[in-house]
Amino acid sequence: MQRSEIERIKSDFDQEIEKASTSGELEQVRIKFLSRNGIVTKLFDELKSVPGEDKPVFGKLLNNLRTEVTESFNNKKLIIESNQLPDSSSIDLTLPGKGIKIGSRHILTQTLFEIKSIFKGLGFSVYDGPELESDYYNFEALNFPPDHPARDMQDTFFVSDKFLLRTHTTPVQIRIMEKEQPPIRAIMPGRVYRNEAISSRSYCMFHQVDGIYVDTDVSFAELKGTLVSFAEQFYGEGFKYRFRPSFFPFTEPSAEMDITCYICKGKGCRVCKHSGWLEILGCGMVDPNVFKYVNYDAEKYTGYAFGMGIERIAMLKYGIDDIRIFFENDLRFLKQF
Amino acid sequence: MKISLNWIKDYVILDGISTEEIVDKLTMSGLEVEDFIDQNKKYSGIIVGLVKDVQKHPNADKLTVCSVYDGKNDLNVVCGAPNVEKGQNVIFAPIGSIIPKGNMEMKKVKIRGVESNGMICAEDELELSDDHSGIMVLADDLSAGTLISEALKLNDVLLEIAITPNRPDALSHIGVARDLAAIFNRDLRISKLDFQESQQDIKQLASVEIEDKLNCPRYSAKVVTGITIKESPEWLQNKLTKIGLRPINNVVDVTNFILHELGQPLHAFDLDQLSGKRIIVKSLSEDLKFTTLDSKERILPKGTMMICDGKREVAIAGVMGGENSEVTASTKNILIESAYFNPTSIRRTSKKLQLSSDSSYRFERGTDPSNTVFAAQRAAQLIASIAGGEIAKGVIDEYPVKIKQKEMTFRLARMKKLLGYEVPKADVIKIFQKLGINLLKDMGESLEVIVPTHRPDIEREADLIEEVARIAGYEKIPAIEKVSITLHKRKDDFDLEDKIRESAVALGFNEMVNNPLIQESDSRVTGNPIQIANPQSQDMAYLRTSLLVSVLPIISNNIKKGEKDIAVFEIGNVFEKLKDDLNSFSDFEEKKKLLFIITGKKQSRQWYSAELDYDIFDLKGLINSFFSKISLDNVLNDSYNSIQNKIYDYQFTVNFKDLMFGVGGRVSKNVLKMFDINQPVFSFECDLKILGDLSGKKRTFKELLKYPKVYRDFAFLFDKSINYTTVKEFILRGGTDILKSVELFDLFESKEIAEDKKSMAFNLEYYDYNRTLTDEEVDKDFQSLITKVTEKFNAILRGK
Repeated sequence: MQRSEIERIKSDFDQEIEKASTSGELEQVRIKFLSRNGIVTKLFDELKSVPGEDKPVFGKLLNNLRTEVTESFNNKKLIIESNQLPDSSSIDLTLPGKGIKIGSRHILTQTLFEIKSIFKGLGFSVYDGPELESDYYNFEALNFPPDHPARDMQDTFFVSDKFLLRTHTTPVQIRIMEKEQPPIRAIMPGRVYRNEAISSRSYCMFHQVDGIYVDTDVSFAELKGTLVSFAEQFYGEGFKYRFRPSFFPFTEPSAEMDITCYICKGKGCRVCKHSGWLEILGCGMVDPNVFKYVNYDAEKYTGYAFGMGIERIAMLKYGIDDIRIFFENDLRFLKQF
Repeated sequence: MKISLNWIKDYVILDGISTEEIVDKLTMSGLEVEDFIDQNKKYSGIIVGLVKDVQKHPNADKLTVCSVYDGKNDLNVVCGAPNVEKGQNVIFAPIGSIIPKGNMEMKKVKIRGVESNGMICAEDELELSDDHSGIMVLADDLSAGTLISEALKLNDVLLEIAITPNRPDALSHIGVARDLAAIFNRDLRISKLDFQESQQDIKQLASVEIEDKLNCPRYSAKVVTGITIKESPEWLQNKLTKIGLRPINNVVDVTNFILHELGQPLHAFDLDQLSGKRIIVKSLSEDLKFTTLDSKERILPKGTMMICDGKREVAIAGVMGGENSEVTASTKNILIESAYFNPTSIRRTSKKLQLSSDSSYRFERGTDPSNTVFAAQRAAQLIASIAGGEIAKGVIDEYPVKIKQKEMTFRLARMKKLLGYEVPKADVIKIFQKLGINLLKDMGESLEVIVPTHRPDIEREADLIEEVARIAGYEKIPAIEKVSITLHKRKDDFDLEDKIRESAVALGFNEMVNNPLIQESDSRVTGNPIQIANPQSQDMAYLRTSLLVSVLPIISNNIKKGEKDIAVFEIGNVFEKLKDDLNSFSDFEEKKKLLFIITGKKQSRQWYSAELDYDIFDLKGLINSFFSKISLDNVLNDSYNSIQNKIYDYQFTVNFKDLMFGVGGRVSKNVLKMFDINQPVFSFECDLKILGDLSGKKRTFKELLKYPKVYRDFAFLFDKSINYTTVKEFILRGGTDILKSVELFDLFESKEIAEDKKSMAFNLEYYDYNRTLTDEEVDKDFQSLITKVTEKFNAILRGK
């Protein structure tokens, strides 16, 4: 073994590694120099025949050679790999992606959730209540006397003399006040039933969110402020609103809240019956008679209450013109939301 | 309720106030104007035309070509009416005018080759009636070119007002006028009585006796004799037709007029048909067949309050008169009834008979008991003036139970507390005065007032506060921008439902919201259903006993529409009857449930995959993932039951300890057949209340594993009868504590292996939280398991 031979091998390697420009060529270089039968590997075999006193010197030379060559090879390999474009000719990237099924929430429960979130942000708790209610909770304790025309406002499905399908979520107010003392700050979403002819505008079952706030100093002005804040969060800003006197047996004074029709922006259209206004909810100050039923001191406490229909809100918001489609549950409808 | 603004103006002067302002202020004070028609606008451009000539249409037998003079020019107009004649004054809609019916603009057209410059109208085209038999012929003295709105007095504004049930006082023109007077601070003018009475005392002509004093607190009457029944004068007919009433005869028209003027329902009896000239108010002691004014025979139940004469019943009190005593063409003498009936009594009768009239509508909401005499007198005056005859002297007025005006206190501080703002005292007093609420005493900080009987809805201070607020205007109440929120405990009963929805959607399920009202046969499949006493239809006469039975029809519909591959869920209530009579909450059960359904293909045919049908294991897998997502996976166990039952071909149950709260399986073919479904359906339904009680557990963080896991696989041949769970649990129990999990990764059966055998291959996962395992200890455990499994199940180790 000669020093010059090692130098020649190094210079051969340098030339060839320089020339190699594909991973195929690089592999040829590796096989020639660094594989088990490669030139560099074989040099180590020859080390055995080197005389004893030269061994350390040549051993060091060979080790250096191997380190340099390996390093040089690895560097080149990195360069080639990073320059190399993936071989895309064998992949048709225009093939469609592999689908994954995703579900959907019903648009009504989405809308309910949205309304709920806003009121939770305004400090309201959320309560559930039964759909099969007693006449007492649904009517009597809400100041609908028996045989009063106010009951005609809510056509009722009865299951017996005393029990019925609740016509509004308002009875939950009574259930809460029976159990808890003021302050009461709660909303009550849920299904309600009305025995009304089914059409594109009305169905025998729908959803409502009722709300109530009772404390020592609750005023109509606070009711207005709270509901305006809700409407701004839900409908966005930039509408006009108005509170119109109305009648509900369980509130006094009572009102209905209208906002600028957001279909026609108040110009008048079919949806707002050319009035420019859309009614979005009913509200008022809790009637003293209701407080009597739950043994609250009507002198000490005042409260406001409100209620809104979810289907109506969702229909307006999403441009749905037939309420029945919510309950047909056609997959083609459900998957849109 | 229809209100004519011209009629209103008889009682309150509204000069200088635009129609739009009137409509807006009425709505904003609680009398919601749902719609209004300004006739001047509606009929604008439509005029009186004079037909100067009529010629046959050259190309059509049934058409004529008329020459119509519009006050300036003669115009060619093609007409199809059979009654058009030369010299008639007609209603003419020239080019550019709008025909009210269909809101159609007139354009110049050629009809069968002849040019037509407008249209001669029939009544229906002006929406005056439904008559389209011929054109409307007008009076000769009208001059061509006059606006129809002027010629026919169609210059009114007609309001459609929604009157809330608490405002019976507003169910009349005077009532609406009273509110307008208060809103615009004008004077209310009520017509004064002005009539002559005959010498004959009414008490000699008729008598009234009230037996049912509770339900008939007051009965007043006037008698008019010697009248002639005929058509009403034009002014009266006009007033009635404006608000949609059909004129009948002068007497009936006056009673209708008074009802819509004052809100007091009246009834005119033919006095000569009243046996003994007596009126007796009493309740029926037994059921009665009775023919009402509308010629319908009705069965009146015992207890119905009736107006009777000396011998028989002549009217259903407050609801409708009887045919036997109605005013006819030959009636000469009449008794005018003007009564106050108990609202509850009238409502019960009206509801029971399903018979509502303009009268019962007002009585059941509460008429003004103080106004009966005035209304009877005013009716008598009008009848005498248009039907001739003489008004008998005096009035009959039985008033056994006096209804008092209510006195109450109005505190300014309370108003401020309730409304959040203060209306000045002077304004409050003025509002009260305009509404007829009289001030008894000004106490400085409060007012003592007396409320008139026409406002039965005003019972308490809160009602007075509403009156002030609505007349002053709700818009004056500020919307405050800052609220204080009490920091009480918050809760959301729907937290779990929201969490479930989120998880179900992530697992690919679409949410449904179904109607719980279903048909009986469907509801009986899963329970004892509750029936609706007054259903709309048999399709919706029962409440669902499970979510499954209300969802299957929807699944069926979807399949029919081509949506065959379905993964849906619903959260909703189901109802079960526990006792025959529902008298208390313990007689039935209402439970909130959660349902998952899958059917059709899990995977449709794709370029990367063959199609795959859903099966029971997809359902199990989805349910397990679902429970894992809501953090209930380690506390639940499931059990299996392959015995067929009514609902499932085979099923599994999900349990918490011994409590079973969910059942899933393949829905039986018989059930599917009921819903016309021809593909397998897998369903799981569970009780949400129980789920909610369980899901209180919090997830806590578990230290991440720092040491490597070691895996070993083995496969055995087992007898077919040995099930997976038994083997898996045996292996888990048989391993030392470094064995952490056992997963089945292959399962197959084939004749080539052996009959009655199956191969199950398991992957075993070993690790320790505190150290790296050595191959030796894993192998030792693994080898010992091979021996144990082989011995326990008589299994044969495969491979190796």
